[in-house]
Amino acid sequence: MRFSHRYVYLLMIAVVAIPIVFGFSTKPARMISAERMYSVVENVSIVEGDIALVWLDFGPNTIAENGAQAEVLLEHLFRRRIPVLLLSQYPLSEGLLKTIPRKVADKLNIEMPEQEWKYGESWINGGYKPGSGNYIQSLVASTDISTFLGRDVLGMPIEHYPAFAKITGVEKIKLVGEITGLTGVFDTIIQFFQKKGYRPTFVHGCTSITIPEAYIFLDSKQLHGLLEGIAGAAWYGELLQRSFPQSSHKNLLLTNTALGAAQIAIILLIVAGNVVSLYSWSKRRRD
Amino acid sequence: MAQSELLSIILGGIGTIAIFSFLIKENYFYRIFEHMFIGVAAGIGPILVLRDFLWPQIVEPMLGYTITAYPDGTFSAEYQPLYFLYVFPMILGMLYYSMYSRKHAWLSKIAIGVSLGASGALAIRGFFAEVIPQIASSFKPILVWRDGGFQAVESVNNLLFVAILFLVLNYFFFTLGRTGSVQSRTASWGRPLLMVCFGAFFGSTVMARLALLVERVQFISRDWISAIINVTGGTF
Repeated sequence: MRFSHRYVYLLMIAVVAIPIVFGFSTKPARMISAERMYSVVENVSIVEGDIALVWLDFGPNTIAENGAQAEVLLEHLFRRRIPVLLLSQYPLSEGLLKTIPRKVADKLNIEMPEQEWKYGESWINGGYKPGSGNYIQSLVASTDISTFLGRDVLGMPIEHYPAFAKITGVEKIKLVGEITGLTGVFDTIIQFFQKKGYRPTFVHGCTSITIPEAYIFLDSKQLHGLLEGIAGAAWYGELLQRSFPQSSHKNLLLTNTALGAAQIAIILLIVAGNVVSLYSWSKRRRD
Repeated sequence: MAQSELLSIILGGIGTIAIFSFLIKENYFYRIFEHMFIGVAAGIGPILVLRDFLWPQIVEPMLGYTITAYPDGTFSAEYQPLYFLYVFPMILGMLYYSMYSRKHAWLSKIAIGVSLGASGALAIRGFFAEVIPQIASSFKPILVWRDGGFQAVESVNNLLFVAILFLVLNYFFFTLGRTGSVQSRTASWGRPLLMVCFGAFFGSTVMARLALLVERVQFISRDWISAIINVTGGTF
């Protein structure tokens, strides 16, 4: 029995579209490593001058998973009032370095109009940094990171922003986050973002493809928390909502539900395909 | 919604449909957008290097543009002539382009040699920084006693981990390979374990691709349709 593969594509699009169009979502599954990451971010203790450094190393090709992860991580850091320095080693993330923190800040500003989250205080965008391992080594070795970074993407000296003016050394970076689906990029942080007497508290958001590789680093404690694809982001969103009931992640839950529906459809297709194949085989034998 | 944002959403939707049209069959609509994406992806890199790195971090300090002159004749900082040392690595890097000349192509080998040497040293350092903690963490206790009691689940996990580690390492051990030895007889046991691992990789790859589909369906069904309705005034 043969039929066009286009019907399978159509079926998958339909299965994915149903929860999205009808707004049907389910509770996300519990993810232990996402819980660990939540607790790490929640317990980061900072004093004046300390910051978090988040690398957004993804583009449109993995925005489905990495975008959601970046949003929940930044939301948590913003809520905790930890100043975030955003950098990237991936050129295609240039636009996302602007839009994602802005989206999160806008959401929080609407939620709590009496408070304010704004550029220069809550976050700054250091932009794309070429040089990979070489650049990271120089950054880590610098005794005045504010001067080393030079200017942000708006052309303003980093010293201009009080929250980021006194990054005297890498020790001031209390948390490093890496959101990417590129294992090569992630590896450079693991390899070079450390020096004698300093290993960062390191959290990572990965795509589903790179989950098996990321687990190795989680097991060896080189990683302190991990967001596994959409499911990890959805559970992190759930945890945020438990701590901050006004925080809503409806979109994320819809995406997670649609993904779950698609997975069920694929499993059913595999089972059906095998049953049909087995039936044809036994029929051929009987004939 | 700003006009520019509206335009980018509409173009994004058309691009998505163009790329998905490949699922029906290969067509010109798909080809045009494929080439557009490759062009944009290739073009954005050099511009960003120039705008975000080369100009503000190298050229500006080298030429003293980062120093502000105040009306009273004083300056915000003293000029550092050492910044001119950047010229030497820049010249070295430029030697790569000499490979386009037959006569001077040998010069590019200097740049390639230096790059290879530096990358090699960097890779060795990076390798040890990455792998040593992983090797250390693979030494796990098979019987775990903690808080005055035996931790059965953790012990089984560790036992599985160590057993799989040995079996898979054994599968890739080709040095002795004596037929009939314990090593050669147990080598094949690693194979099904590797298959399980590949299965997990394949499953997670499918999941990642589906996540992309979900995001695009969300974008088309909400943002793009809303933008089209906005532009056509609801007549669409």
